Amino acid sequence: MSGTVLERLERLPRRGLTVLALKGVSTLVPGTWQNITSADALIADVLGDDDPALIASVRRRADALSRARHEGYGRALSLYDAVNRSQKAAGGLRIAANLGGALPLVKRFASLTPPSEKLQAVDLALKVSAEMLAFTQVNGLPGDSFAEFGASLREYGDEARVRMAAMICFDALLPLGDRALQGLDGLLGQVGSSDLRQWPAYRRMAALLPGRGDQAHLGFLRRGVEPWLDWSEGLVKQLGLTGQRAVHALEGAVGPWQGGFDQLAVFLDAFTDTYAHTGVQAVARRLVERAAAEI
Amino acid sequence: MNRTLRWVVAGVLAAALLLLAVVALPFADWLPGGTVADVPTSQVVNGSAFNRLFPEPETGEQVVFTQEKRGFAQARLRQGDELRALLSISDVITAPDARAKFTASDAVIQGWPLVEQGSQASALLVADRFQVKVIGQGVGMDPQQRHAVLGAFDLTGLAALKPALTGAVPLHLLLAGAEVSA
Repeated sequence: MSGTVLERLERLPRRGLTVLALKGVSTLVPGTWQNITSADALIADVLGDDDPALIASVRRRADALSRARHEGYGRALSLYDAVNRSQKAAGGLRIAANLGGALPLVKRFASLTPPSEKLQAVDLALKVSAEMLAFTQVNGLPGDSFAEFGASLREYGDEARVRMAAMICFDALLPLGDRALQGLDGLLGQVGSSDLRQWPAYRRMAALLPGRGDQAHLGFLRRGVEPWLDWSEGLVKQLGLTGQRAVHALEGAVGPWQGGFDQLAVFLDAFTDTYAHTGVQAVARRLVERAAAEI
Repeated sequence: MNRTLRWVVAGVLAAALLLLAVVALPFADWLPGGTVADVPTSQVVNGSAFNRLFPEPETGEQVVFTQEKRGFAQARLRQGDELRALLSISDVITAPDARAKFTASDAVIQGWPLVEQGSQASALLVADRFQVKVIGQGVGMDPQQRHAVLGAFDLTGLAALKPALTGAVPLHLLLAGAEVSA
């Protein structure tokens, strides 16, 4: 995808299934979520001032920063795009396969077979790892000690609560059930290299993951998911997230759903871009905070 | 070498170049270089040098580091659950425009020029090289509060930072040096 981060932000949809799904999830998270798609509004929010000349100079700086390849903003976005494309491709294929296979059996017409749990676990682990790689591309390694870096990650987690809640609901609780987070490490333990290679996002991300070879990458995925699991189990407890509540929240925003939870997850995979959508918004905010400080 | 063969070789080379360009196009984001304002990163002070110069949090406050890149470090000042301000230090070598606004400045903190940007941002230029900025967030901060935070940075330590080349010296500078000494 071309364009600077702020151009990408302005191209995000203002309505549609993705925005509705996020609105639904945001009802589970305290505080208001706004679908920010205006660069000027974001800059004015960070600066606490709406002087057009100041906003224009922040924007010039932000564009210069995101055009500099060395700064990693473009890399973060291409990570999000890779994960998003693979999620959509996988979801779409599963739906197409089912429609085709189901034509003789009319009663199975609407059933969208979910992928095996192992593949779903790999998908979640890849998303979490992409998130961490993108975090270091955008923010570097803030702080002088491990404790300060941990504080920085928690700060980001609180800022991106709706994003994280969407990831937990759509990619863990709906497809894998309410005990998804507890069972994730066990599932990842069963994953072999051939399972990993089936996932399109892995082929795109393999070069970026530390270590050589599928086994090393699997090890990285498992270790990378661990701290995220601790944090997100806390979030699940705090907000009382369950698959049931996620479906209710979605039904409130999108409309009634007749199928199973896992089928809803396949549907969301195929027709929404919540991961890339909130990803662009998160990168844009950090970029603007930097640009505002540097003008 | 006969004439036809020469043309064939030239054609193959041109085709290979074109093919390589098309294949490498999607990887443009990953190629080396492309620094901000085309200043080599070796001339920019690394953000990790700035971290220890940020203000010590007072009681009830927290300073959470959020970004650290070449020439830039940023932290958030929190009071309990409330976000009070963005604190940052940046190396203006990649943003020469940022330096210009200080020429009109008539206020100082510890001898360094001070300017206000809009209603929530105060900036200080230290040693003509580093910009220190406080941007009020949430309910906001009045100018006196922002100036107090600016004064709490270790400005002496910042002014003493060596903006000299760190790491690799660019080849053309080495060659220039060799010519002079020869």
